[in-house]
Amino acid sequence: MTNENPIIRVENLYFSYNREPALADVSFRVEEKDFLAIIGPNGGGKSTLVKLILGLLEPDSGTIRIHGKPPSKTAHCFGYVPQDVNINIDFPITVLDVVLMGRLRQGGRFSMNRKDRHKALEVMETLGIRGYAERKIKDLSAGQRERVFIARALAANPEILILDEPTASVDTEGKTELYHLLRELNETKTVIVVSHDLMIVSSYVKSVACVNQTVHYHPNNEITGAMIEMGYQCPVELIAHGQPHRILKTHEDF
Amino acid sequence: MIEALQFEFMRNAVAAALLASLLCGIIGSFVVVNRLVFLAGGIAHAAYGGIGIAFFFGIPYMYGTIGVALTAAILMTAVAIKAKNRSDTFIGVLWAVGMATGVILLDFTPGYHTDLMSYLFGSILAVPTADIVWMCALGAATLVLTLLFYRDILAISYDAEFARLRGVPVNTVYFLFIVLVAVSIVFIIRVAGLILVIALLTIPPYIAEKYARSLMTMMILAVILAVVFNLTGLWLSYNHDLTSGATIILVAAAGFFLSFLLDFVLFTFRKNHSHKNGIPPEKA
Repeated sequence: MTNENPIIRVENLYFSYNREPALADVSFRVEEKDFLAIIGPNGGGKSTLVKLILGLLEPDSGTIRIHGKPPSKTAHCFGYVPQDVNINIDFPITVLDVVLMGRLRQGGRFSMNRKDRHKALEVMETLGIRGYAERKIKDLSAGQRERVFIARALAANPEILILDEPTASVDTEGKTELYHLLRELNETKTVIVVSHDLMIVSSYVKSVACVNQTVHYHPNNEITGAMIEMGYQCPVELIAHGQPHRILKTHEDF
Repeated sequence: MIEALQFEFMRNAVAAALLASLLCGIIGSFVVVNRLVFLAGGIAHAAYGGIGIAFFFGIPYMYGTIGVALTAAILMTAVAIKAKNRSDTFIGVLWAVGMATGVILLDFTPGYHTDLMSYLFGSILAVPTADIVWMCALGAATLVLTLLFYRDILAISYDAEFARLRGVPVNTVYFLFIVLVAVSIVFIIRVAGLILVIALLTIPPYIAEKYARSLMTMMILAVILAVVFNLTGLWLSYNHDLTSGATIILVAAAGFFLSFLLDFVLFTFRKNHSHKNGIPPEKA
């Protein structure tokens, strides 16, 4: 935990959208080969935090360092799977072309070379989607499309894989498969996953960061009472597993 | 049609039609997949302000329209990037202000003016050779830039955020292509009119998008469709002495509805076909 060289270091981070604070005084570290779950209520700042780490947003104040460097210089370290894999679903693009996007600025300056193609197909092979290479992205199921986007993220062989709610459009069976896959990838990579599925999270991840304007980092995978005390809206899985005190707490606010 | 080619105006018209098809197929595909049809319409209409400015100040017509089209295109795109949710309103305002300015400036300018009709429907039968040369240059530039930046364009159009993460200079490439859109629009308006430019920028790419598996095939297919619409329209207008621009639009529109009909027939055929083989119909 007190490693001197964490892969991601966030200190006193503040961020707001049009003066509406989204994140305040956020500090935490992510160690190499961590499997971190970022959980928290909708609008709590999960995606915002991810975009700040990726360098897609600029913090109001505070620092983010990836291997000691600012995010603007470290985009190549990340493989990013966005929340919505159904964007532009009617776009005329093949599965292979989507995965090849992950190879942009890797090989040739302007065009894709044979090495890029080879790498893309190799990643698709491991994810079991090579057979769909020439299909239109629209003709795949949501679960397959999720894998295509993971392949795109992996095509550049990133050190850190970040997935924003990867299971949003996948059924229960697909979720288990996906987390199995992430666990495998975690053997060589740091994995960060934004998620709502607290139960599935607790059985796969190594650590948990609770995000609700501020961040509480927990260096283990237990879903503790403290996380629940943070004042979540109810994740369905938790209610099903019976935590009635928290339902009452949430509603006292209204 | 063949014997008509002995006239220079007809050779120019055919050349203009082919070059306009090339520009419309490539640029139009970019416009359609990036959902910039409204922006393209805004640029085309605002460019009318450039005609007013050119006549009022007595500068060449082309400088006025290209200047105004570029200014409008860059302003609209800047607003679209900064304030996504309100950009349509801003485009609508510029659209109207550009046209109104053009009309008022023409009121203030003494003498006879090109009438609004030729601006709306163009005059493909009266394209001077100089314009053909310019369009050749523009067509070549568009081809080269599209080939060079194809992967970037594809990534930006499909998922700009991811493209940015991969180090693509998203805004630079995007503005470069918006500039191409604006200049192409001005040239196509000159030969074919304001209404035709919108029809040609949207109809061929829209049809092509349904059958294409990649942006590249969409562009190629859109160019071919635009050539077919343009030449058919030109031939019909020559033979039956009709307004060329309007004829081309109606031919393109016929193609548009034919493609719907074809989709419907194919869909019904596939449904029946899979039923016969005992396979349940595909989910749409």
